[in-house]
Amino acid sequence: MIKIFIDEKAIEVEKSTTILKAAEQAGIDIPHLCYHPAFPPEGTCRMCLVEIEGLPSLELACSTQVKDGMKVSTKSERVIEARKGVLEFLLAEHPPDCPICDKAGECSLQDYYEEYGQFENQFNEFKEKREKKVKIGKNLIRDMERCILCRRCVRFLKEVTKTQELGVFERGIHSEINILDGVLVDNNYSGNLAEICPVGAMTDSDFRFKTRTWFLKKGESICPLCSRGCSIFIEYHEGFSRFTLPKRVYRIRSRENHKVNGFWICDIGRYGYSYIDENRIDKIIVNNKEGGETITWEKMVILLAEKIKRLYYIKKTSRIALILNTWLSNEELFLINKIFRNDLSVENIYFTDPPEGEEDDLLLTSERSPNKRGAREIGLDLKPINLETLADKTDLLLIFGSFMFDQFNLAEIKSALDNIKMKIIFATHSNEMNSLVDIVLPMSLIAEKEGSLTNVDGIVQRFSPVLMAQGECQPEWKVLVNLAKELEINFRYYSQFSSPEAILDEMGKKISFFEKKSE
Amino acid sequence: MIKALGYFLEIIRGSIITTRHFVVNMHFHFMKLFRIKTKRKGAVTIQYPEEKREIATRHRSLHRLMTNKDGKPRCVACMLCVTVCPSECIYVEAAEDPDLEVQKYPSTFIIDLSRCCFCGFCVEACPEDAIRMDTGQIEFAEYSREDLIYNLEKLIG
Repeated sequence: MIKIFIDEKAIEVEKSTTILKAAEQAGIDIPHLCYHPAFPPEGTCRMCLVEIEGLPSLELACSTQVKDGMKVSTKSERVIEARKGVLEFLLAEHPPDCPICDKAGECSLQDYYEEYGQFENQFNEFKEKREKKVKIGKNLIRDMERCILCRRCVRFLKEVTKTQELGVFERGIHSEINILDGVLVDNNYSGNLAEICPVGAMTDSDFRFKTRTWFLKKGESICPLCSRGCSIFIEYHEGFSRFTLPKRVYRIRSRENHKVNGFWICDIGRYGYSYIDENRIDKIIVNNKEGGETITWEKMVILLAEKIKRLYYIKKTSRIALILNTWLSNEELFLINKIFRNDLSVENIYFTDPPEGEEDDLLLTSERSPNKRGAREIGLDLKPINLETLADKTDLLLIFGSFMFDQFNLAEIKSALDNIKMKIIFATHSNEMNSLVDIVLPMSLIAEKEGSLTNVDGIVQRFSPVLMAQGECQPEWKVLVNLAKELEINFRYYSQFSSPEAILDEMGKKISFFEKKSE
Repeated sequence: MIKALGYFLEIIRGSIITTRHFVVNMHFHFMKLFRIKTKRKGAVTIQYPEEKREIATRHRSLHRLMTNKDGKPRCVACMLCVTVCPSECIYVEAAEDPDLEVQKYPSTFIIDLSRCCFCGFCVEACPEDAIRMDTGQIEFAEYSREDLIYNLEKLIG
């Protein structure tokens, strides 16, 4: 540890840290554009110039390492003057088209201009005219006028994906970020480029012009689309009071988490958010009943509990079958295990999951559901469904999710389900499956509920609701706790579970894997 | 005591002014009735809808969207008016313009006039001078609320 002084504030830092990182630790903000914590410093933007006592010229904070007793000033007159100068040169070619730029509102250059710029234009020359929209990737549109040549995108493709599709071509004022021989940036991490671009030079055609960034609120969540469980921000629009918007979630961005995903997320997680808003159900649907009879959740739970109790008293709980999936959180799987396997000794517990997909060596795993590891650690056997035995042995079938469709076709499912007396589905989306069952219960998604997931490496990650549950949607854990209480087999045990946190604490006591992992 | 007297004096002065106005106005009104002095207006009341006062040049009335020379709306769908609108009565949807030089254009532009409070913030916020409140139309009452929701065509035309 060495002691340095930044703006006369004494800070103790590790030996080989840079001034910029040291300032960050001390809570002092040094403007920077090209520096990104994921890459080694590059020093192309010159925004981070600071004054070091004893040195004649200003030094780059991003690449200068600290020395013992170093005195750095980040707010001296010379530094501010230098920042203004650098900004003036950056803006010499950067168009002032913030109103139509997608980055406006979260653009570093815009922020720095507000703070250090606002100068009169001293240039007699017109700005260079360049291509405003060129498709250079799967979801990427490049605007060369706005580019400040920080090379973050080039470095990302060189160091993270190692595909190197982009490079800087030509020289001087003509230099531009481009692809070679028309080969588009087409890898599973290309969406990160639009996110790390400090200006609006690289925009995401999925988000482009859909809304403005300042309308969006963001909440921390976990990506459920593969078993990596990357940390994400869900950015959603709260809507206007007079106008209905087509969707709530407008984009997914990565959240820094060095235990799991570092700075990045893959494109499957980034662009696969449409399931949150499309085709959702928000009402309890009771099929085979005349008229649109409505039923409340309380009545529904009582009805379900009575059905189970009847089988329990005549000792026929073996005729209950469950079809689970690993989109359920640790707490929900634990409750199901407790209620159905331990209390009711149900044996027919099957799992259906989305089919496995591609994997890569960076983040994406082949398992397309977030909690397979959790289910295994809880002690559930991930048995696949056997439709024939299911049809023969079952009176009451509880289905969670509609992933059966990925394995069987509609006719197969229909013929199997027709033999079962009572079928209940806990569904999030409306699809053909819902017409085959007796009762459809609307469920909340991971973005709308609380709980925890165990990722492929065994890291237990808690998540909290970002979006409001719509209509009558309820999280599974709540329904399961209410059901368990209504069953009156172990009322006192289940009434302690007022929140997923309480369930996770209980899990920590019961299962050694979840001990101390509830973070 | 003197203060109270002051109040009464003011009241009396006020009633004298009122009476003078009344008498003068009635005088000219009667003159006009008998066709003696017709140029000077009699009563100060304006006979609205037949008679209308001239609207001030700085007034704010029904919005209009400006167009470019080629007839397309000048609006670039930056949504600054949506942002600034205190009554949330503007709704804009942007779309990618096929023209390579132009970034985006408003595919929908709706102003809910039943909610608009005519503050004029949208006009001030607009970076392109695309929205103005200078049509001079101050009478646009409708029988239903839906008719007060103006879309792009109605706002341009």
